[in-house]
Order: sequence, then structure tokens, then C-alpha cells
Amino acid sequence: MENRLVSQMTHCAMDTVMTHKAFGLNAEDSLESVHREIARIEKLLSRFLPDSEISRVNGSAGTKSEKVSRETYDVLSDAVEFSRCLPGCFDMTIAPLVTLWRAAKESLAQPDSSSIKQVLPLVNYRDLILDPWEMTAGLGNVGQSVDLGGIGKGFAGDRIQEVLKGFDISSACSNLGGHVVTLGAKPDGSLWHVGIQHPRQETGLIGSVSVVNQTLVTSGDYQRCFTDSQGKRHHHILNPRTGYPAESKLISVSIVSDKSLVADALSTVLFVAGMEKGLEFLKSFPQTEAILVDDDLQVFVTQGLRYRFRADKGIAVTILD
Amino acid sequence: MIGWVIALTVLAVLGIAGGIGWSRVSKEHHEARSLPLNAVDFSKLNDGTYHGMYGGGMYTWRANECQVTVSSGKVTDIQLVGSSDPGSKNTQHKALYDRVIQAQSLQVDTISGATLTSKAYLQAVENALGQAQHE
Repeated sequence: MENRLVSQMTHCAMDTVMTHKAFGLNAEDSLESVHREIARIEKLLSRFLPDSEISRVNGSAGTKSEKVSRETYDVLSDAVEFSRCLPGCFDMTIAPLVTLWRAAKESLAQPDSSSIKQVLPLVNYRDLILDPWEMTAGLGNVGQSVDLGGIGKGFAGDRIQEVLKGFDISSACSNLGGHVVTLGAKPDGSLWHVGIQHPRQETGLIGSVSVVNQTLVTSGDYQRCFTDSQGKRHHHILNPRTGYPAESKLISVSIVSDKSLVADALSTVLFVAGMEKGLEFLKSFPQTEAILVDDDLQVFVTQGLRYRFRADKGIAVTILD
Repeated sequence: MIGWVIALTVLAVLGIAGGIGWSRVSKEHHEARSLPLNAVDFSKLNDGTYHGMYGGGMYTWRANECQVTVSSGKVTDIQLVGSSDPGSKNTQHKALYDRVIQAQSLQVDTISGATLTSKAYLQAVENALGQAQHE
């Protein structure tokens, strides 16, 4: 009987490994549903699946708009909102640049500046045409392409919580390849302790954060990065304005938020925007906190996490006002 | 509780050896991605030395064998004793193993920001710990 009260699942989706743990009478069924839900979302939003709605929009770029589901429409609208609020820090039409840098990673050579210059004009969220009446999405120019990599897992995280609630699960924790979503507290009533990966030590943490019913997302320059033949390291978080990996002096940004989608998008936005501009922007999101690590390995924690962040040994922390 | 906590941590650890450039062929890559990792209950380990093996996918490129030492109920050492992966000459698997050992003492439920995927080495560790497990 006890076995039925807790269930765990590991699977691969969205180009990463996901683990889920749920507690409750329907734990097992709930996780099967979660698994299906993630696959369903991926089929809507992934630009790497040829039949996805986003692939259809990308395929018709410069030609016509495509009918999309309410959910895809909403995610695209949210992405536009983030692009608009802090221009130059987030852009879901970044796919052509991402493709360029992915190829660079394969060949271990930085893309030449002329190819970057060539694709840069294609990156412009203003060219995404959304029609709320027809429920369509389209891209203005041939060659443009949407990549929801900076927001898709966030959307999935919010949906996971809804699915679990539908099964009367009140305690669960999902790790979507480093993107941690919690539902409620642990079964014994204590908080979830989520470790934050140390950006320079593979086996280290900078500390842990106690969360309840919240998402913790970390964006770092140590993920999916490569070193070119000149010995320069390039990471995967691109600045949509320059076309190069963001250099904002921040090397890791973690966001804690009630909304998984917000946490996902903000971790990228703040990483690109840098500390000053990013923290200012963060103020417009209530109940949303951040842990920033700069290139001197200084850790900065926002006021709301003052008592919830525990630094690992030897890590110096500044609490922000 | 700590058992699955650690299991979750271990899974988060998968990210560590992402730099190993061993996944050029997509078929093999895809297969590696769909490897299941079962939860190991770290609170129920019998002392001893255990050998774990993983067959290594379609072309056996990732075949590897490890030796896991459990003493006083804890994993104290993991050694790679054989691998068909040319990448094993570097030390990335070592970082992964260290992390498994360290995970036992980490008081966290899971880890944010550890992405990427590398399961083959953990598969063998899991295989060894499965033998160490008592009811």
C-alpha cells in the first residue's frame, strides 16, 4: 500500500533528462499523465519536431500565418511580452542565431562575423504577427524562425503543476534538466531544499534555497558551452542584439518564482541584461527572487531569499536591498 | 526519504559529463537518451565491493564497468575498471563518480542548473548498487 503513495519517474524530453517525484494516492497515475503532458507540449512547441505548431509557423515564415492552438498562442504572446519589456535581452525569433552557434559548437570554431551579421536582421520579435481573432501566428520574413528554448520548459512546469493538482497530489517535485518545479511542501511538511549548481566546480553547489510551491530555474554560462581552437569559451545564452554569447559579467542567474514560465524567461533575461538592469526589471515581478553569481564568483541574493538561501561552505554572499 | 533524495540528485548529476564528445551517431545517441535509470535507495546498502556493468548501446561504444565500494552503509569509492569509450581517458567520469559519493551527504532534494546528459556511466553504478541493496 505504501508503495502506491509515492511514485518516481525519469524520462528524456525537450533535449534533457527529467525526473519527477509525486506523493499521494494517485502518484503513479499522476506521473504518467505528467509524462504524456510534457510530450504533448513538446509536440506543440519544439522547433525540432517537424510536425509541431512552431515548426509549421517557421516553415511558413515570410509566406503566411498558421493556425495555432490557444496554448501555443499564449506562450508566443508571453514571449513577445518579455521581449518588449526589456528589449535586446530576450527574443524568441533567435533560432537562426542559435542554429549558427550550434554548428559552431560542432566544429569547435566561432562563427565568422559576416555570418552573424547576415542572420542578425532575422532576429526580431516585432516580425512575429499574432492575430488573436483568427488565432494565428506568422513570421514576416523568409528565413525567420521561432525558438522557444528560453520559455518552453517554463510553460511545461506550469502545466505539470496543473496536471498534478488534477490528481489531488499536494506534494511533488520535478526536475526538468535543472529546471526545478515544486508543488506544495514535502510530505512531512518541511520545505524542499534545492541546490544550485556551482558555475565553476562540476561537483559543487553555491548553496541551497528552500522553496514551497515554487520553481527554481538557473541559467549559467557553464551549460552547453564549448571552447574554440583559440581557447575561448563560448556559452549558449546569446545576446539577440549582438549575436554573440551574452557578456554581462553574470555567470549564473537563478530565479525563484510562483510561475515556472516567468522563472524560465527571467533567468535568461537577467543573464543577458546584467545585474543592474536585470534587478530593476525584476522589481516588476512580485514574489519573484533571484540569486546572481558574477564573474568574480561573488554571490548576490535578493532580500526575499535572505532567510531561505543557505550558502555552501566558503561561498561569500551579499544580500541585496 | 534521503534515499530518493539522493537518487534525484544522482539524476541531476547526469549533466556533468556532457563534454565528452562521444555521441556523434544519432542512433546511438538516441538510444543513450532513452536509457532508464532506476532509483537506488542509498539508505539500504550492504557493505562490500560490487562490480557494475553497462553493455553500452547498439555499437557498445559506451560499454563500461565500474567497481563500487560500500562501507558502513555508504558508497565510499567508485572506480572505472574498464570502458570502450575513448573519452574515458579523460577524467570526466571521475567528476560524475565524486558527485554520486558526495550526493549522499548533500542535504538537498534536487539540484537546479545541472543540465546535459550522460547516463552510461551512471548505468553501471546503478547496476552495482542494485546488487548492494538489501530489502
